[in-house]
Amino acid sequence: MIEIINLCKSFGKHRVLDNLNLMIERGETTVIIGRSGCGKSVLLKHIIGLLKPDSGQIFIDGKDITRLSTKELNDIRLKFGMLFQGAALFDSLSVWENVGFNLLERGAKRKDIMTRVSECLDLVGLKGVEEAKPAELSGGMRKRVGLARAVCMRPEIILYDEPTTGVDPVMGDAVNKLIESLHDKLRVTSITVTHDMKSAYRIADKIAMLYDGKIIAVGTPDEIKNTNNPIVKQFINGDSEGPITKGG
Amino acid sequence: MATLKKGIEQLGEGAISFIGYIGSIVIFMGEIIFWAAHPPFRIKQLIRHAEKIGASSLPIVTLISLFTGMVLALQSAYQMQKIQAEMYIASLVALSMIRELGPVLTALIVAGRCGASITAEIGTMKVTEQIDALETLAANPINYLVVPRFWAMLVSLLILTIYANFIGIVGGYIVGVYKLHIPHHMYVKMTFDPLTQSDMRNGLYKSIVFAVVICVIACYEGMNAREGAEGVGKATTASVVKSFVLIIACDCILTALMYFIGR
Ligand SMILES: Nc1ncnc2c1ncn2[C@@H]1O[C@H](COP(=O)(O)OP(=O)(O)OP(=O)(O)O)[C@@H](O)[C@H]1O
Ligand SMILES: [Mg+2]
Repeated sequence: MIEIINLCKSFGKHRVLDNLNLMIERGETTVIIGRSGCGKSVLLKHIIGLLKPDSGQIFIDGKDITRLSTKELNDIRLKFGMLFQGAALFDSLSVWENVGFNLLERGAKRKDIMTRVSECLDLVGLKGVEEAKPAELSGGMRKRVGLARAVCMRPEIILYDEPTTGVDPVMGDAVNKLIESLHDKLRVTSITVTHDMKSAYRIADKIAMLYDGKIIAVGTPDEIKNTNNPIVKQFINGDSEGPITKGG
Repeated sequence: MATLKKGIEQLGEGAISFIGYIGSIVIFMGEIIFWAAHPPFRIKQLIRHAEKIGASSLPIVTLISLFTGMVLALQSAYQMQKIQAEMYIASLVALSMIRELGPVLTALIVAGRCGASITAEIGTMKVTEQIDALETLAANPINYLVVPRFWAMLVSLLILTIYANFIGIVGGYIVGVYKLHIPHHMYVKMTFDPLTQSDMRNGLYKSIVFAVVICVIACYEGMNAREGAEGVGKATTASVVKSFVLIIACDCILTALMYFIGR
């Protein structure tokens, strides 16, 4: 279970997260929506301990990760997989070294690594790219390699930062299927950031909207579709007129 | 009066930020030492980086130390001939190269070539979130990225410096023997006779300090690069300028220390 309590974070004078509260149950798929630049990626980075909050707490299975030592944090991170918005592949390493990075670090046998790597690449619909360098791949392919790397260690919690952005619609559907099947088969807890409302409705158990540094609405896809909150309504309908654009 | 006050204030701010910078560098160095003592030890990466540093700097180190040796010989010839002491040219070239110019010139070349590329590499990794990704995969970025480069820098700078010393002496020899007609055996004898072990050691001590300066600054600037390509560019420039200044400053301090203590 992930519990975020009164999380605040500013960069300089710019307050990105402002007393944010959010609960995520084990095995749930939560989708976070919100406008570009509202702090979704920043929120994910707090959950995995890459950024330290100015104040507030984040409990992962009862442990406050904002107060852990580096070593304890690293142990917790083994439970996590993360897909970065820009994939963040290591460009000095080949695709298989990227996907099998953790196994490589632990000194696993090359044969075992290769088996697991091609399994994971299969999951994301990639074949025969093991020896390629990330620079030789297209943006969408890189994203999928990043996805393969995130799921390689069979994590309990997976954070996806815009998994379907830059991926063609057919592949996007496959990515959504993958997220669903990880959720159904392995009971993975996942947090997905997306702008794509269609896939949000499809994969989410719960949708949370981030606005102005706070979670202003949480609910099942149906609840969100039928919301009365004008801000959420404007966002999911994609209107250019409304309370979001009026204020700022 | 107002401008004077403002000037002093600016000076003060500059001094404080400089001290702050040195402080963060020292802390960063502590982290490197901590992680250098921690497994895993990445020998393969170390060799790869050392090869890169060595291979990329070798041609220019050769060229510059050869010319420096020749210039030293010619320049001293101009003065030594006045007092008919040409044979001391050999000793002068050897001592200047080994105690001073070899270590400093090599360090400056390596800082310009490899320090900059280390900063650009690590800075790019930083702005494309690869360093964050390393952390999420439970690999420490300092252990993974900095430590191998640190050892590689140390080893390759030492080897390059010894090589530069040798080439510089060869440059002096060419001028001394073929142009100034000092006999071969005389030149060789005058090169090695006055050299003491402490000359060699002091030169190499300098190299060690310079290697630490180059690598620590290059990695620190890279790790702290700001977002975007512009940030990486700025970090790279800062890395080169700061390591140049610190190399010269350390050289001055070390030379003074060696002069007063080491004799
Ligand atoms: N390291 C940082 N330093 C300074 N400001 C930052 C940093 N990281 C994020 N920000 C700021 O925080 C805000 C939120 O950024 P974030 O990347 O979380 O947006 P986002 O919601 O993920 O947007 P998008 O949907 O476009 O990815 C932005 O205004 C950004 O400028
Ligand atoms: Mg984002």
